[in-house]
Amino acid sequence: MLILLCFVVLLILICINVPIAVALAVSAIIGLLATEGPGSLVTVALDMYDGSTKFSLIAIPMFVLAGALMNAGGITDRLINFVSALIGFVRGGLAMVNIGVSLFFAEISGSAVADVAALGSILIPQMKKRGYSAPLAAAVTSSSASLAIIIPPSIPMILYATSAGTSVEQLFVAGIVPGLIGAFGLMFVAYMFAVRYNLPVEEAFNTRRVFDTFMDALPAFSLPVIILGGIFGGWVTATEAAGLAVIAALLVGLWYGEFNIRHLRRAMLDGGMQTAVVMLLVAASVLMGGFLTRAQVPQQLAQGILDFTTNQYVILAILNVFFLIIGFFLHSAAAIILVIPIVIPLINAAGIDPVHFGLVVTLNLAIGQQTPPVASVLITSCAVARANIWEVSKVNVYFVAVLFVVLMLCTYVPAVPMFLVEYFYR
Amino acid sequence: MLATLRNFLEAVLEWVTILLMVLLTVIVIVAVLFRIFGDSLSWYDEVAAICLSWITYYGAALAALKRRHIGFDSVLLAFPVPIRMAALIIAEIIVLGFFVIMAWAGMEVLDVLEGDYLVSLTWVPVQFTQSVIPIGATLFIICELLSLPEYWRMTLAGKSLEHAEIEEEVEAEMKKAGAN
Repeated sequence: MLILLCFVVLLILICINVPIAVALAVSAIIGLLATEGPGSLVTVALDMYDGSTKFSLIAIPMFVLAGALMNAGGITDRLINFVSALIGFVRGGLAMVNIGVSLFFAEISGSAVADVAALGSILIPQMKKRGYSAPLAAAVTSSSASLAIIIPPSIPMILYATSAGTSVEQLFVAGIVPGLIGAFGLMFVAYMFAVRYNLPVEEAFNTRRVFDTFMDALPAFSLPVIILGGIFGGWVTATEAAGLAVIAALLVGLWYGEFNIRHLRRAMLDGGMQTAVVMLLVAASVLMGGFLTRAQVPQQLAQGILDFTTNQYVILAILNVFFLIIGFFLHSAAAIILVIPIVIPLINAAGIDPVHFGLVVTLNLAIGQQTPPVASVLITSCAVARANIWEVSKVNVYFVAVLFVVLMLCTYVPAVPMFLVEYFYR
Repeated sequence: MLATLRNFLEAVLEWVTILLMVLLTVIVIVAVLFRIFGDSLSWYDEVAAICLSWITYYGAALAALKRRHIGFDSVLLAFPVPIRMAALIIAEIIVLGFFVIMAWAGMEVLDVLEGDYLVSLTWVPVQFTQSVIPIGATLFIICELLSLPEYWRMTLAGKSLEHAEIEEEVEAEMKKAGAN
């Protein structure tokens, strides 16, 4: 009964736009007061402090910073040139370039809004000039940016791994194959649009040009090499890889000579604030988590659902529907922090691999970033393209369908995300 | 007067956040390099985690000043104006109330921690590192109040702050892209 009250309070507070972190903490306090009395309020300070000192989450500000430095350091333009030389010969070349670059780029910084704004403001105007409709340009940008959250490094994955007590590194590895499948899917849809609207190719394929742009972008590739190579090779942890990524991004920016103090200052500031916003949520969830665990809520939920079914696929279907709905209303970070601690005992009891489930959750939330009312990535793309959200969504449906197919594939064919994990780690 | 105070606080918090980010970055990088070359720093885990905590609360106050915390405003903005503004007042009181509790609890904890020192750096009092809770909570309250008039105006006009933030970001990037 009390638990129900806490959730109703949480829901009401979120609906009147109390920051979700505060809404979580306040409903936890109500629970604490009811069960343990006013003396327990000191826990607020202890838990809020403990929650903000989670060592594994130091990877977040580091990756955010590396991303912001990439944004500021001239890496974007060179990546675009290289990808354009590589796949610009396909019909609808600019859309292909957009998707290809997003995979390297978006969501590294954890602020999808900043990334989409940075990439979109370069590519979308060009696309419009080349005859792409504004809604199509926005839809391509938006959907490919969201696909990028399942490709390492990914802030939602770091948050999931910490909440679920599983390995960030393995989750990163699990994202690679589904990410590539998704990218090809998006490119296929973009190609169909390109044929239908007779959109131009970008440039003829020229080995010389590919080589030149590759050499120019080479320092930028040191980033994924360090991050992926270091983690796959088992030489560094995710946090250490993040630290190295910052050094690499700094060096690359200096090499290109495009840094100035204003860029650096803004990168640090944006990184710090993004981190604070997410970490306040994490801290509040520790307060809530403590209360829920003492009240045995996650265990009871797990038992309730297991009494109903023990079939993994049915449980995954239920959770998929749940996360798709949640994705309409919550930002991905908030959704993970809120829901994962509650469902993870169920996952463990049902014998579902938490790494596999992590990928399913992340994909769900990628789709959630495309579904209004809360769809920051979509809204940002629309703002850049000066297009109406509804018009964009009518085009975007086809791209979101690709994400959905990838989600179904990953949910029901666990080998798709997991075989690389098995190969590297088990 | 209020605007001056707001700008001053914004500048101070921005610099604190930036300095903490630089500090954390340097610590992580130095520690990684040390470990790769076969030597580990004993104080790395503890100090880096404290740094993260300080970024959380000083940065959270700054984010409150700019109203950047993750929320959900679609329902609120859909209410008719009188209910909307009443709900806004209730929401603000709840937020402020929470941070008052956190500041108070933080002070209580500081009393208990008298005489404790960090495990790895035995000359740093825990009272110093945990001071971030009451100080951060107090700063949050001040920032929330200072940013309230703007939030009030926007909500009254039915405008979403998140959309305003996105517009601002897009504007800045478009300018940058246009300049290149």
